[in-house]
Amino acid sequence: MTQIPVLPFERSGHDDRVIAGVCGGLASTLGVDATLVRLVFALLSLAGGAGILLYLALWAYDGGRRTWPAAVLIAAAAGSLLLALGLSSGAVFGVGLIVAGLGVILVRGGSMRQGGSLPKLAIVLMLIGAVTLLGHVGASNSFIGPGAVVGTLLLVLGPWIWQLWREHLERIRLEERAEVAARIHDSVLQTLALVQRHADDATRVSAVARRQERELRRWLYGSGFGDAVTLADALAEAATEVEELHGVRVELASAGDLPLDESLEQLVLAAREAMTNAAKFSTSEEISIYLETNGDHVAVFVRDRGIGFDRAAVPADRRGVAESIEGRMRRAGGTAAVTSAPGSGTEVELTLPRAGQ
Amino acid sequence: MIRVVLVDDHELFRAGVRGELGAAVEIAGEAGSVAEAVPLIREVDPDVVLLDVHLPDGGGEAVIAAVAQERPGVKFLALSVSDAAEDVIGVIRAGARGYVTKTISSDELADAVVRVAEGDAVFSPRLAGFVLDAFREGARVGDDAELENLTAREREVLQQIARGYKYKEIAARLHLSVKTVEAHVSSVLRKLQLSSRAELTRWAHERRLI
Repeated sequence: MTQIPVLPFERSGHDDRVIAGVCGGLASTLGVDATLVRLVFALLSLAGGAGILLYLALWAYDGGRRTWPAAVLIAAAAGSLLLALGLSSGAVFGVGLIVAGLGVILVRGGSMRQGGSLPKLAIVLMLIGAVTLLGHVGASNSFIGPGAVVGTLLLVLGPWIWQLWREHLERIRLEERAEVAARIHDSVLQTLALVQRHADDATRVSAVARRQERELRRWLYGSGFGDAVTLADALAEAATEVEELHGVRVELASAGDLPLDESLEQLVLAAREAMTNAAKFSTSEEISIYLETNGDHVAVFVRDRGIGFDRAAVPADRRGVAESIEGRMRRAGGTAAVTSAPGSGTEVELTLPRAGQ
Repeated sequence: MIRVVLVDDHELFRAGVRGELGAAVEIAGEAGSVAEAVPLIREVDPDVVLLDVHLPDGGGEAVIAAVAQERPGVKFLALSVSDAAEDVIGVIRAGARGYVTKTISSDELADAVVRVAEGDAVFSPRLAGFVLDAFREGARVGDDAELENLTAREREVLQQIARGYKYKEIAARLHLSVKTVEAHVSSVLRKLQLSSRAELTRWAHERRLI
């Protein structure tokens, strides 16, 4: 229950009283001259006796001793004042009901917050008051009807809608958390389990950890998780696969990126084959990949620091380089150049003219 | 012996670096946050600060900003797992002399620390890629004429770094001396720090980084 504010008002003592000491007391509370207060009360009394009613109200109130009689008397005073000002009695009745409704809310307490609601008595009072008031100040009936309905709905449903909205936000938060949990479970926890199981296999553990690192990072820094949509993403995916399959480290650096299309997919496949070759045959533990997009071409370099090989010594029936790399690039409209010599590592340079430029 | 301060919020990682680098350099102090790092660097006055890009109470940038003015002799080498180009470019622009990823081998890290202490710039392949990206042809507009562009040679050197070659290999491939390669890299670093903020902002915007 809300505490009704109490005015620090007391009737004045014997030395400054004409009738009951109300005007004198009010004057000293407000810090004005008592004569001025008496003049105001006299003028208000001309307005349908409002001054007299107010005087009685303050007498009854007397420092908060008799609140309810005072409230009723003040309401009567306000009503007679409004009547005197020319409002129709119906309108005054309407205003009175609204004020009464607010009074009920003040006394009973009400809240628009979650789980709170307004006292039904207050809603009914204010609603009737509003309809009555509108009916008497000349608003058309076509406005009152819908207005009353909307007002009712707002007052009755307001707290409920508010609560629903809060629940909705809460649900979104929970769903996000669930998604994060699922993702962590599918990726990080699985990886940790794998690491535990293969704790004695250092190569395997580091490959698995590295793949997880890439995946997590791509998810966190977000560029097209899942199916790659750009060239750099597709290369990163290919690099991850090769790391996993062959237990090598693949470092990818890139300058520029392009949305993936058919010929770029061929470029990625060729690069993947070059990585696989490096992982299988070079004995190098790290493979560097560099992607560069320029105004007129796209280039991918796949390089290792391994044992290298002599192209001439490769048997003609080994089709890996010739078919999967060179042939594929040629069909896509690009070129492949393999630079290698025994003992000095291998670099495969894949170039593709940039489409539409 | 080169005196190094280690700033990283992961105790385990610091221990690892201490173990790997302990023989090659003197670890003069360790800090896990910006608040710890700043007074420590002031007190110890090391040759090189190995600096994580991400710290709980701010970034490596904050450490550099707080100390670089009063301790011009201290060199900063950024060491990060971050893939985000704006982190890397940001810390370099703040004044770091190099950037290497945490996947670097300990020999290479020791080499990088020595290099930075001697005043050279150290770029990892990934950083070279970012820098080439930042200065990319066609990413500029006409009214940025005052912006210092990379020379063809600098671009070439960066491209070689991005392809994973070491300074010595690059020198051999481009028929330069190692010193010249280092000079080119240092000059790229200076241009990167000077290049207009607007240029980098737009670049970052184009890549949807900001």
